[in-house]
Amino acid sequence: MSAHDSDAVAAIHRELHSHLPPEPALRLKALESLLAEKGIVDTAVIDAWVEVYADSVGPKRGAALVARAWTDTEFKTRLLEDGTAALTEFGFEGQGGGHLKVLENTPEVHHLVVCTLCSCYPITVLGIPPAWYKEAAYRARAVREPRTVLREFGVELDADVAVQVWDSTSELRYMVLPERPAGTDEFSEEQLANLVTRNSMIGTDRTLGAS
Amino acid sequence: MDGIHDLGGREGFGPVEVSADYEGFHADWEERVFAIVRTMGRPSDWSLDWFRHCRELIDPVDYLTRPYYDQWLQTYAAMLVNSGLLSIEEIAQQKAGGPSPTAFAPPLTLEQIPANVRAAQTFDGDAGQAPQFAVGDRVQTSAHGIPGHTRLPAYIRGVAGTVTHYRGDHVMPDDNSAGTKRAEALYTVGFAARDIWPDAEGANDRVQVDLWESYLEPA
Repeated sequence: MSAHDSDAVAAIHRELHSHLPPEPALRLKALESLLAEKGIVDTAVIDAWVEVYADSVGPKRGAALVARAWTDTEFKTRLLEDGTAALTEFGFEGQGGGHLKVLENTPEVHHLVVCTLCSCYPITVLGIPPAWYKEAAYRARAVREPRTVLREFGVELDADVAVQVWDSTSELRYMVLPERPAGTDEFSEEQLANLVTRNSMIGTDRTLGAS
Repeated sequence: MDGIHDLGGREGFGPVEVSADYEGFHADWEERVFAIVRTMGRPSDWSLDWFRHCRELIDPVDYLTRPYYDQWLQTYAAMLVNSGLLSIEEIAQQKAGGPSPTAFAPPLTLEQIPANVRAAQTFDGDAGQAPQFAVGDRVQTSAHGIPGHTRLPAYIRGVAGTVTHYRGDHVMPDDNSAGTKRAEALYTVGFAARDIWPDAEGANDRVQVDLWESYLEPA
Protein backbone atom coordinates (compact mmCIF):
# COMPACT_ATOMS: atom_id res chain seq x y z
CA MET A 1 0.00 0.00 0.00
CA SER A 2 1.32 3.43 -0.96
CA ALA A 3 1.82 5.87 1.89
CA HIS A 4 -0.34 8.38 0.03
CA ASP A 5 -3.30 6.25 -1.03
CA SER A 6 -6.52 8.27 -1.38
CA ASP A 7 -8.86 5.27 -1.38
CA ALA A 8 -7.25 3.84 1.75
CA VAL A 9 -7.66 7.12 3.65
CA ALA A 10 -11.29 7.52 2.51
CA ALA A 11 -11.99 4.01 3.83
CA ILE A 12 -10.30 4.84 7.16
CA HIS A 13 -12.46 7.97 7.47
CA ARG A 14 -15.61 5.87 7.05
CA GLU A 15 -14.44 3.39 9.66
CA LEU A 16 -13.33 6.01 12.17
CA HIS A 17 -16.75 7.54 12.05
CA SER A 18 -18.30 4.67 13.97
CA HIS A 19 -15.47 4.26 16.50
CA LEU A 20 -15.10 7.78 17.86
CA PRO A 21 -17.38 9.35 20.50
CA PRO A 22 -20.05 11.62 18.98
CA GLU A 23 -19.14 14.86 20.79
CA PRO A 24 -16.05 16.70 19.46
CA ALA A 25 -14.74 17.49 22.95
CA LEU A 26 -15.00 13.82 23.91
CA ARG A 27 -13.47 12.70 20.63
CA LEU A 28 -10.51 14.96 21.36
CA LYS A 29 -10.16 13.62 24.88
CA ALA A 30 -10.23 10.00 23.72
CA LEU A 31 -7.67 10.58 20.97
CA GLU A 32 -5.38 12.79 23.03
CA SER A 33 -5.03 10.25 25.83
CA LEU A 34 -4.40 7.46 23.33
CA LEU A 35 -1.78 9.51 21.47
CA ALA A 36 -0.10 10.49 24.74
CA GLU A 37 0.05 6.82 25.75
CA LYS A 38 1.76 6.05 22.45
CA GLY A 39 4.25 8.93 22.73
CA ILE A 40 2.87 10.76 19.70
CA VAL A 41 1.78 13.81 21.72
CA ASP A 42 3.12 15.28 24.98
CA THR A 43 0.31 16.69 27.15
CA ALA A 44 2.60 19.12 29.00
CA VAL A 45 3.84 20.51 25.69
CA ILE A 46 0.27 20.97 24.43
CA ASP A 47 -0.61 22.89 27.63
CA ALA A 48 2.45 25.11 27.33
CA TRP A 49 1.97 25.72 23.62
CA VAL A 50 -1.61 26.94 24.20
CA GLU A 51 -0.36 29.40 26.84
CA VAL A 52 2.32 30.89 24.60
CA TYR A 53 0.15 31.02 21.52
CA ALA A 54 -2.90 32.67 23.11
CA ASP A 55 -0.80 35.70 24.08
CA SER A 56 0.97 36.23 20.79
CA VAL A 57 -0.95 36.13 17.52
CA GLY A 58 -4.08 38.14 16.74
CA PRO A 59 -5.47 40.92 14.52
CA LYS A 60 -3.80 43.61 16.64
CA ARG A 61 -0.65 42.71 14.74
CA GLY A 62 -2.26 43.34 11.37
CA ALA A 63 -3.72 46.61 12.70
CA ALA A 64 -0.22 47.71 13.77
CA LEU A 65 1.10 47.11 10.24
CA VAL A 66 -1.83 49.07 8.75
CA ALA A 67 -1.38 52.03 11.12
CA ARG A 68 2.35 52.17 10.37
CA ALA A 69 1.64 52.07 6.63
CA TRP A 70 -0.81 54.99 7.03
CA THR A 71 1.79 57.13 8.80
CA ASP A 72 5.05 56.09 7.12
CA THR A 73 5.01 56.03 3.32
CA GLU A 74 8.37 54.26 3.09
CA PHE A 75 7.09 51.47 5.30
CA LYS A 76 3.92 51.30 3.20
CA THR A 77 6.04 50.82 0.08
CA ARG A 78 7.97 48.03 1.78
CA LEU A 79 4.75 46.41 3.06
CA LEU A 80 3.24 46.36 -0.43
CA GLU A 81 6.45 45.14 -2.05
CA ASP A 82 7.38 42.44 0.44
CA GLY A 83 4.86 41.79 3.19
CA THR A 84 7.00 39.09 4.77
CA ALA A 85 10.01 41.40 5.16
CA ALA A 86 7.74 44.14 6.57
CA LEU A 87 6.15 41.92 9.22
CA THR A 88 9.63 40.79 10.24
CA GLU A 89 10.44 44.41 11.14
CA PHE A 90 7.70 44.09 13.79
CA GLY A 91 8.77 40.62 14.97
CA PHE A 92 5.47 39.17 13.73
CA GLU A 93 6.95 36.04 12.14
CA GLY A 94 4.75 32.97 12.35
CA GLN A 95 2.27 30.68 10.64
CA GLY A 96 1.13 31.97 7.27
CA GLY A 97 3.74 34.76 7.30
CA GLY A 98 6.19 33.11 4.91
CA HIS A 99 4.69 34.65 1.77
CA LEU A 100 2.52 37.61 2.85
CA LYS A 101 0.99 39.74 0.08
CA VAL A 102 -0.71 43.02 1.03
CA LEU A 103 -3.49 44.42 -1.19
CA GLU A 104 -4.16 48.16 -1.06
CA ASN A 105 -7.75 49.35 -1.18
CA THR A 106 -8.30 52.58 -3.12
CA PRO A 107 -11.40 54.69 -3.91
CA GLU A 108 -11.63 52.68 -7.17
CA VAL A 109 -10.83 49.15 -6.00
CA HIS A 110 -12.00 46.97 -3.12
CA HIS A 111 -10.16 43.75 -2.28
CA LEU A 112 -11.77 40.70 -0.69
CA VAL A 113 -9.91 37.58 0.47
CA VAL A 114 -11.28 34.01 0.54
CA CYS A 115 -10.03 30.44 0.40
CA THR A 116 -12.57 28.44 -1.60
CA LEU A 117 -10.73 25.11 -1.27
CA CYS A 118 -9.98 25.09 2.47
CA SER A 119 -9.27 27.90 4.94
CA CYS A 120 -5.92 29.56 4.14
CA TYR A 121 -5.48 32.71 6.21
CA PRO A 122 -2.53 34.87 7.37
CA ILE A 123 -2.80 33.66 10.96
CA THR A 124 0.35 35.33 12.22
CA VAL A 125 -1.01 38.82 11.47
CA LEU A 126 -4.81 38.29 11.71
CA GLY A 127 -5.07 35.52 14.34
CA ILE A 128 -7.38 32.53 14.13
CA PRO A 129 -9.93 33.04 11.32
CA PRO A 130 -13.54 33.80 12.26
CA ALA A 131 -16.00 30.90 11.89
CA TRP A 132 -17.70 32.35 8.81
CA TYR A 133 -14.38 32.48 6.93
CA LYS A 134 -14.07 28.68 7.18
CA GLU A 135 -17.70 27.86 6.45
CA ALA A 136 -19.28 26.80 3.17
CA ALA A 137 -21.50 29.85 2.57
CA TYR A 138 -18.60 32.33 2.51
CA ARG A 139 -16.25 30.01 0.60
CA ALA A 140 -18.89 29.26 -2.05
CA ARG A 141 -20.31 32.76 -2.47
CA ALA A 142 -17.43 35.23 -2.01
CA VAL A 143 -16.07 34.51 -5.50
CA ARG A 144 -19.42 34.41 -7.31
CA GLU A 145 -21.45 37.15 -5.65
CA PRO A 146 -19.01 39.27 -3.64
CA ARG A 147 -21.23 42.34 -3.63
CA THR A 148 -24.14 40.42 -2.11
CA VAL A 149 -21.82 38.91 0.50
CA LEU A 150 -20.43 42.37 1.27
CA ARG A 151 -23.97 43.71 1.78
CA GLU A 152 -24.49 40.97 4.38
CA PHE A 153 -21.51 42.48 6.19
CA GLY A 154 -23.04 45.96 5.86
CA VAL A 155 -20.71 47.08 3.05
CA GLU A 156 -22.52 48.74 0.13
CA LEU A 157 -20.20 49.46 -2.79
CA ASP A 158 -20.87 51.96 -5.56
CA ALA A 159 -21.14 50.34 -8.99
CA ASP A 160 -17.96 52.13 -10.12
CA VAL A 161 -15.84 50.54 -7.39
CA ALA A 162 -14.32 47.36 -8.83
CA VAL A 163 -14.16 44.29 -6.62
CA GLN A 164 -11.10 42.05 -6.76
CA VAL A 165 -11.63 38.73 -4.97
CA TRP A 166 -8.40 36.88 -4.09
CA ASP A 167 -8.80 33.10 -3.82
CA SER A 168 -5.95 31.81 -1.63
CA THR A 169 -5.18 28.66 -3.59
CA SER A 170 -1.39 28.70 -2.99
CA GLU A 171 0.86 29.33 0.03
CA LEU A 172 0.68 33.07 -0.60
CA ARG A 173 -1.35 34.71 2.16
CA TYR A 174 -3.33 37.85 1.46
CA MET A 175 -4.14 40.76 3.76
CA VAL A 176 -6.01 43.93 2.79
CA LEU A 177 -4.62 47.39 3.56
CA PRO A 178 -7.80 49.42 4.12
CA GLU A 179 -8.04 53.14 3.31
CA ARG A 180 -7.18 55.57 6.10
CA PRO A 181 -10.38 57.20 7.39
CA ALA A 182 -10.87 60.93 6.84
CA GLY A 183 -10.48 63.22 9.84
CA THR A 184 -7.59 61.28 11.39
CA ASP A 185 -4.71 63.62 10.54
CA GLU A 186 -4.01 64.30 14.21
CA PHE A 187 -4.31 60.68 15.32
CA SER A 188 -1.35 58.86 16.80
CA GLU A 189 -0.27 55.53 15.32
CA GLU A 190 -1.84 53.78 18.30
CA GLN A 191 -5.15 55.61 17.86
CA LEU A 192 -5.12 54.72 14.18
CA ALA A 193 -4.46 51.05 14.94
CA ASN A 194 -7.54 51.02 17.17
CA LEU A 195 -9.70 51.99 14.17
CA VAL A 196 -8.60 48.99 12.11
CA THR A 197 -11.04 46.09 12.23
CA ARG A 198 -10.10 42.49 11.59
CA ASN A 199 -12.74 42.33 8.85
CA SER A 200 -11.27 45.38 7.08
CA MET A 201 -8.05 43.36 6.63
CA ILE A 202 -10.03 40.45 5.09
CA GLY A 203 -12.10 42.86 3.00
CA THR A 204 -15.51 42.29 4.60
CA ASP A 205 -15.37 45.82 6.06
CA ARG A 206 -14.40 48.94 4.09
CA THR A 207 -15.15 52.35 5.56
CA LEU A 208 -13.47 52.63 8.93
CA GLY A 209 -14.79 55.10 11.48
CA ALA A 210 -12.78 57.99 12.88
CA SER A 211 -14.70 58.00 16.13
CA MET B 1 -10.64 15.53 -7.27
CA ASP B 2 -14.19 16.69 -7.78
CA GLY B 3 -14.83 16.76 -4.05
CA ILE B 4 -17.35 18.59 -1.91
CA HIS B 5 -14.50 20.80 -0.61
CA ASP B 6 -14.26 22.58 -3.97
CA LEU B 7 -16.90 25.09 -3.00
CA GLY B 8 -16.18 28.20 -5.07
CA GLY B 9 -19.31 29.31 -6.94
CA ARG B 10 -21.64 26.61 -5.59
CA GLU B 11 -25.13 27.88 -4.96
CA GLY B 12 -27.79 27.29 -2.34
CA PHE B 13 -25.89 28.03 0.86
CA GLY B 14 -27.82 31.05 2.11
CA PRO B 15 -26.45 34.07 3.97
CA VAL B 16 -23.00 34.16 5.55
CA GLU B 17 -23.26 33.86 9.31
CA VAL B 18 -21.66 37.24 9.90
CA SER B 19 -22.43 37.15 13.63
CA ALA B 20 -20.07 34.15 14.11
CA ASP B 21 -17.43 36.78 14.49
CA TYR B 22 -15.61 36.07 17.76
CA GLU B 23 -11.85 36.43 18.01
CA GLY B 24 -9.81 33.28 18.48
CA PHE B 25 -11.18 29.87 19.33
CA HIS B 26 -14.82 29.18 20.13
CA ALA B 27 -14.12 26.38 22.60
CA ASP B 28 -11.19 24.98 24.56
CA TRP B 29 -11.28 21.73 22.61
CA GLU B 30 -10.75 23.65 19.34
CA GLU B 31 -7.64 25.36 20.69
CA ARG B 32 -6.37 22.01 21.92
CA VAL B 33 -6.80 20.37 18.52
CA PHE B 34 -4.84 23.26 17.00
CA ALA B 35 -2.06 22.84 19.60
CA ILE B 36 -1.91 19.07 19.10
CA VAL B 37 -1.49 19.55 15.37
CA ARG B 38 1.33 22.03 15.91
CA THR B 39 3.19 19.90 18.46
CA MET B 40 2.53 16.24 17.65
CA GLY B 41 5.07 13.70 16.41
CA ARG B 42 4.71 12.76 12.75
CA PRO B 43 6.17 10.60 9.99
CA SER B 44 8.63 12.29 7.66
CA ASP B 45 6.44 11.77 4.58
CA TRP B 46 3.56 13.96 5.80
CA SER B 47 3.06 17.39 4.26
CA LEU B 48 0.56 20.24 4.33
CA ASP B 49 -0.75 19.09 0.97
CA TRP B 50 -1.19 15.51 2.15
CA PHE B 51 -3.15 16.85 5.15
CA ARG B 52 -5.34 18.93 2.86
CA HIS B 53 -6.02 15.96 0.63
CA CYS B 54 -6.88 13.75 3.59
CA ARG B 55 -9.36 16.38 4.80
CA GLU B 56 -10.90 16.43 1.31
CA LEU B 57 -11.42 12.67 1.63
CA ILE B 58 -13.77 13.01 4.62
CA ASP B 59 -17.26 11.75 3.79
CA PRO B 60 -19.04 14.67 1.99
CA VAL B 61 -21.90 14.82 4.49
CA ASP B 62 -19.43 15.04 7.37
CA TYR B 63 -17.39 17.63 5.49
CA LEU B 64 -20.33 19.99 5.34
CA THR B 65 -21.77 19.35 8.79
CA ARG B 66 -19.01 18.57 11.27
CA PRO B 67 -17.26 21.41 13.12
CA TYR B 68 -14.08 22.64 11.46
CA TYR B 69 -11.52 21.58 14.07
CA ASP B 70 -13.38 18.30 14.53
CA GLN B 71 -12.55 17.64 10.89
CA TRP B 72 -8.90 18.36 11.61
CA LEU B 73 -8.96 15.83 14.44
CA GLN B 74 -10.62 13.21 12.27
CA THR B 75 -8.13 13.91 9.47
CA TYR B 76 -5.06 13.50 11.67
CA ALA B 77 -6.51 10.33 13.19
CA ALA B 78 -6.99 8.92 9.68
CA MET B 79 -3.46 9.96 8.68
CA LEU B 80 -2.00 8.25 11.77
CA VAL B 81 -3.91 5.06 11.01
CA ASN B 82 -2.85 5.18 7.36
CA SER B 83 0.79 5.62 8.40
CA GLY B 84 0.57 2.69 10.80
CA LEU B 85 1.15 4.75 13.96
CA LEU B 86 -2.30 4.01 15.35
CA SER B 87 -4.87 1.32 14.67
CA ILE B 88 -8.64 1.37 14.35
CA GLU B 89 -8.73 -1.25 17.14
CA GLU B 90 -6.80 1.03 19.48
CA ILE B 91 -9.22 3.85 18.76
CA ALA B 92 -12.25 1.58 19.20
CA GLN B 93 -10.95 0.30 22.55
CA GLN B 94 -9.41 3.63 23.57
CA LYS B 95 -6.34 1.78 24.70
CA ALA B 96 -2.86 1.45 23.24
CA GLY B 97 -2.01 -2.04 22.13
CA GLY B 98 1.56 -3.13 21.47
CA PRO B 99 4.69 -1.00 21.74
CA SER B 100 4.84 2.72 20.98
CA PRO B 101 5.81 3.47 17.39
CA THR B 102 9.35 4.70 16.83
CA ALA B 103 9.58 5.47 13.11
CA PHE B 104 8.49 9.09 13.27
CA ALA B 105 9.73 12.52 14.35
CA PRO B 106 8.94 12.84 18.08
CA PRO B 107 6.59 15.51 19.42
CA LEU B 108 7.87 19.02 20.08
CA THR B 109 9.71 19.60 23.37
CA LEU B 110 9.01 22.49 25.78
CA GLU B 111 12.26 24.16 24.68
CA GLN B 112 11.15 24.13 21.03
CA ILE B 113 7.85 25.96 21.64
CA PRO B 114 8.98 29.61 21.21
CA ALA B 115 10.69 28.84 17.89
CA ASN B 116 7.69 26.80 16.73
CA VAL B 117 5.24 29.63 17.43
CA ARG B 118 7.39 31.98 15.34
CA ALA B 119 8.09 29.50 12.55
CA ALA B 120 6.79 30.34 9.09
CA GLN B 121 6.94 27.61 6.50
CA THR B 122 8.06 28.76 3.09
CA PHE B 123 7.30 26.96 -0.11
CA ASP B 124 9.80 28.40 -2.58
CA GLY B 125 11.64 25.99 -4.79
CA ASP B 126 13.50 25.87 -8.06
CA ALA B 127 11.61 24.64 -11.10
CA GLY B 128 14.89 24.23 -12.96
CA GLN B 129 13.57 26.19 -15.94
CA ALA B 130 12.42 29.70 -16.78
CA PRO B 131 8.72 30.50 -16.35
CA GLN B 132 6.73 29.82 -19.50
CA PHE B 133 4.39 32.80 -19.06
CA ALA B 134 4.93 36.51 -18.44
CA VAL B 135 2.77 39.14 -16.76
CA GLY B 136 0.12 40.23 -19.27
CA ASP B 137 -0.06 36.89 -21.08
CA ARG B 138 -3.47 35.43 -21.77
CA VAL B 139 -3.78 31.90 -20.38
CA GLN B 140 -6.46 29.27 -20.13
CA THR B 141 -6.92 26.71 -17.40
CA SER B 142 -7.30 23.02 -18.04
CA ALA B 143 -10.90 22.16 -18.90
CA HIS B 144 -10.80 18.82 -17.12
CA GLY B 145 -10.86 17.85 -13.49
CA ILE B 146 -7.58 16.65 -11.98
CA PRO B 147 -7.61 13.37 -10.03
CA GLY B 148 -6.31 13.44 -6.46
CA HIS B 149 -5.34 16.66 -4.71
CA THR B 150 -5.20 19.85 -6.75
CA ARG B 151 -5.40 23.59 -6.16
CA LEU B 152 -7.11 24.32 -9.46
CA PRO B 153 -10.66 25.18 -8.37
CA ALA B 154 -13.47 23.80 -10.55
CA TYR B 155 -15.15 27.19 -11.05
CA ILE B 156 -12.35 28.44 -13.33
CA ARG B 157 -11.85 25.27 -15.37
CA GLY B 158 -11.55 26.04 -19.05
CA VAL B 159 -11.74 29.80 -18.43
CA ALA B 160 -9.27 32.31 -19.92
CA GLY B 161 -7.61 34.98 -17.81
CA THR B 162 -4.55 37.24 -17.70
CA VAL B 163 -1.35 36.63 -15.75
CA THR B 164 -1.07 39.50 -13.26
CA HIS B 165 1.92 38.24 -11.23
CA TYR B 166 4.72 35.70 -11.46
CA ARG B 167 5.33 34.62 -7.84
CA GLY B 168 8.53 32.63 -8.28
CA ASP B 169 8.70 28.84 -8.22
CA HIS B 170 6.68 27.11 -5.47
CA VAL B 171 6.27 23.52 -4.33
CA MET B 172 3.65 21.92 -6.59
CA PRO B 173 0.75 20.80 -4.36
CA ASP B 174 -0.71 18.03 -6.56
CA ASP B 175 2.60 16.16 -6.54
CA ASN B 176 3.55 17.10 -2.99
CA SER B 177 0.31 15.60 -1.67
CA ALA B 178 1.37 12.29 -3.21
CA GLY B 179 4.86 12.43 -1.70
CA THR B 180 6.87 14.03 -4.52
CA LYS B 181 8.31 17.43 -3.70
CA ARG B 182 9.15 19.49 -6.79
CA ALA B 183 8.66 23.13 -7.67
CA GLU B 184 6.85 24.79 -10.54
CA ALA B 185 6.29 28.40 -11.60
CA LEU B 186 3.43 29.97 -9.66
CA TYR B 187 1.35 32.78 -11.13
CA THR B 188 -1.56 34.88 -10.00
CA VAL B 189 -4.11 34.95 -12.80
CA GLY B 190 -6.91 37.54 -13.01
CA PHE B 191 -10.26 36.38 -14.40
CA ALA B 192 -13.03 38.78 -15.36
CA ALA B 193 -15.98 37.84 -13.14
CA ARG B 194 -18.28 37.83 -16.18
CA ASP B 195 -15.98 35.42 -18.05
CA ILE B 196 -16.71 32.93 -15.27
CA TRP B 197 -20.31 33.88 -14.51
CA PRO B 198 -21.93 36.01 -17.25
CA ASP B 199 -24.55 37.28 -14.79
CA ALA B 200 -21.95 38.60 -12.29
CA GLU B 201 -23.09 41.89 -10.81
CA GLY B 202 -19.98 44.04 -11.24
CA ALA B 203 -18.93 44.74 -14.84
CA ASN B 204 -15.30 45.29 -13.82
CA ASP B 205 -15.05 42.80 -10.98
CA ARG B 206 -12.29 40.22 -11.06
CA VAL B 207 -11.30 37.02 -9.35
CA GLN B 208 -7.57 36.54 -8.74
CA VAL B 209 -6.37 32.96 -8.35
CA ASP B 210 -2.88 31.58 -7.69
CA LEU B 211 -2.16 28.85 -10.26
CA TRP B 212 0.79 26.59 -11.03
CA GLU B 213 2.19 26.48 -14.54
CA SER B 214 0.95 22.97 -15.41
CA TYR B 215 -2.65 24.10 -14.79
CA LEU B 216 -2.27 26.60 -17.63
CA GLU B 217 -1.90 26.71 -21.39
CA PRO B 218 -1.62 29.71 -23.73
CA ALA B 219 -5.06 31.14 -24.55
